[in-house]
Amino acid sequence: MAMRVALRCVSANFSHKQARFSQLAQISASLQLRRRDFTRTLSTTSRLSTALKFTDKHEWVQVDGKVGTVGISNFAQEALGDVVYCGLPEIGQKLEHMEEFGALESVKAASELYSPLTGEVTDVNTDLADNPSLVNKACYTEGWLIKMTIENPAELDGLMDDAAYEKFIKSLE
Amino acid sequence: MVLRSLRVLRAQAGASLSGLPAALATGSGLVLRSLSTDVFQNLALEDWIHDNVDLQSRNILLLWRNSSAVVVGRHQNPWQECDLRLMRRSGVPVARRRSGGGTVFHDPGNLNLTFFTSRKNYDRSRNLRVVTGALKALRPGINVQATDRFDILLDGHYKISGTAAKLGRTAAYHHCTLLCSANRRLLSSLLRPTCPGIHSNATASLPSPVQNLLDHDPSLTPDSILHQLAEQYLTEFGVRGGRVVPVQPADEQTFGGIDRSVAALRSWDWTHGRTPKFSVDTTLELTDRAGSEISTATVHLEVKGGRVERCELAVPPDWLPGGPCMELASLLVGARFCPSETAPIAAAFLRSKPRNAGEETRLGNLCENIVALM
Repeated sequence: MAMRVALRCVSANFSHKQARFSQLAQISASLQLRRRDFTRTLSTTSRLSTALKFTDKHEWVQVDGKVGTVGISNFAQEALGDVVYCGLPEIGQKLEHMEEFGALESVKAASELYSPLTGEVTDVNTDLADNPSLVNKACYTEGWLIKMTIENPAELDGLMDDAAYEKFIKSLE
Repeated sequence: MVLRSLRVLRAQAGASLSGLPAALATGSGLVLRSLSTDVFQNLALEDWIHDNVDLQSRNILLLWRNSSAVVVGRHQNPWQECDLRLMRRSGVPVARRRSGGGTVFHDPGNLNLTFFTSRKNYDRSRNLRVVTGALKALRPGINVQATDRFDILLDGHYKISGTAAKLGRTAAYHHCTLLCSANRRLLSSLLRPTCPGIHSNATASLPSPVQNLLDHDPSLTPDSILHQLAEQYLTEFGVRGGRVVPVQPADEQTFGGIDRSVAALRSWDWTHGRTPKFSVDTTLELTDRAGSEISTATVHLEVKGGRVERCELAVPPDWLPGGPCMELASLLVGARFCPSETAPIAAAFLRSKPRNAGEETRLGNLCENIVALM
């Protein structure tokens, strides 16, 4: 699955007007590292996982079977600046669609996070406790925030795909 | 026009202010001044405005002052940031904001400003220009400048203002302090850790040398500063002839649901319980009744959600037998990391069985030392 996310990340960055070359270099390095796992990853997850879907609050969700992985977009992490703390929920917490589930702190500002779906938190990225800057360095891969169950798959239809999200970002500029 | 807005505000009895006259709703600013000096009420008022007022086409400035209080940032550790024991003795409460940033001391000599905007129009530099502009309008020679960390420095060195912000779904607020005549002695005695040896990923404050504006220029007055800030804000945000509207956050009729919000902000679960997981590694200086004999114990505590998750005590066996020490450590697991909960547990433990006088004294002293960490 990590492979799948990394691939999505590259495409998202290439289509972004202001792609950050350092980040691209970092992603291509991580792609090379993972190439060994390519065949296995592809055969086990390609039919189950889907492309990233975005909210208008700049969270992304990637569905893998019955679980969604949630993070923030490259646009959002650039706007935030250096993330110094990730306030995340506990495993088992139930979240409503668009409910606040935590906050990312950067430059003295707490930016609240909103759940893209209704569901229960099944996993939290514990690496962020020691290394919150992963959200800046790799927002689509190692900088994921939580994983959650998907109670109401219809909610996914209300989210934007890659192209729609790109268009949405351009409309903000 | 502003008075009219207040009447509407009261008439709406807690509903959203989005029904305000269109003239006020477009591109206009409004200055409110809180009549409360209760830190929890004022923080709740901020949340209320953020959550209930349509800020998409309106900007609001809230001016407020508190009785003495220490306010920590959303992701901070109060045990690390302030001396909770001294604060309890002095009757100074600790509050946790919903915004980021570091710990600040509030008292009536400190003025707080909250700038509410839409998330899109959130602009801390512009807001701080209102503050520096007001000070320069009052005293043209004054050397005040905002830094890239959004502090305001006097004479390039002394911090007179600190900033924090919260960005919500569609609205945002940026608040800052302004030291006019705060009690700097109390400030520096309270902003010290409660106990040594705290390890945490919580965001830590950066201590800075501070200065009061009135110490710098005794001819300034808090009222003149407040008046000029409002004036500057209304000019910057394009309202002519506006005035400052007093509001009472305790007015549940106007600010519907605010009581619940005040209670939540005041609760231990929010002020202390929301602290990021941390550990304490320190030594305890143990003494006998007469203080003639001494020994040293080491303690390792892990605290999650404000509660002791793990407690390890290492006491020299020639000082106290291991059994009771282990029992005490296990009794503390699950307790809130605060004296009001651990002191009764320790007292019950000491009463639980008869012991010889020497052991009882030493166990009592060990308990006191542990409770004093909180």
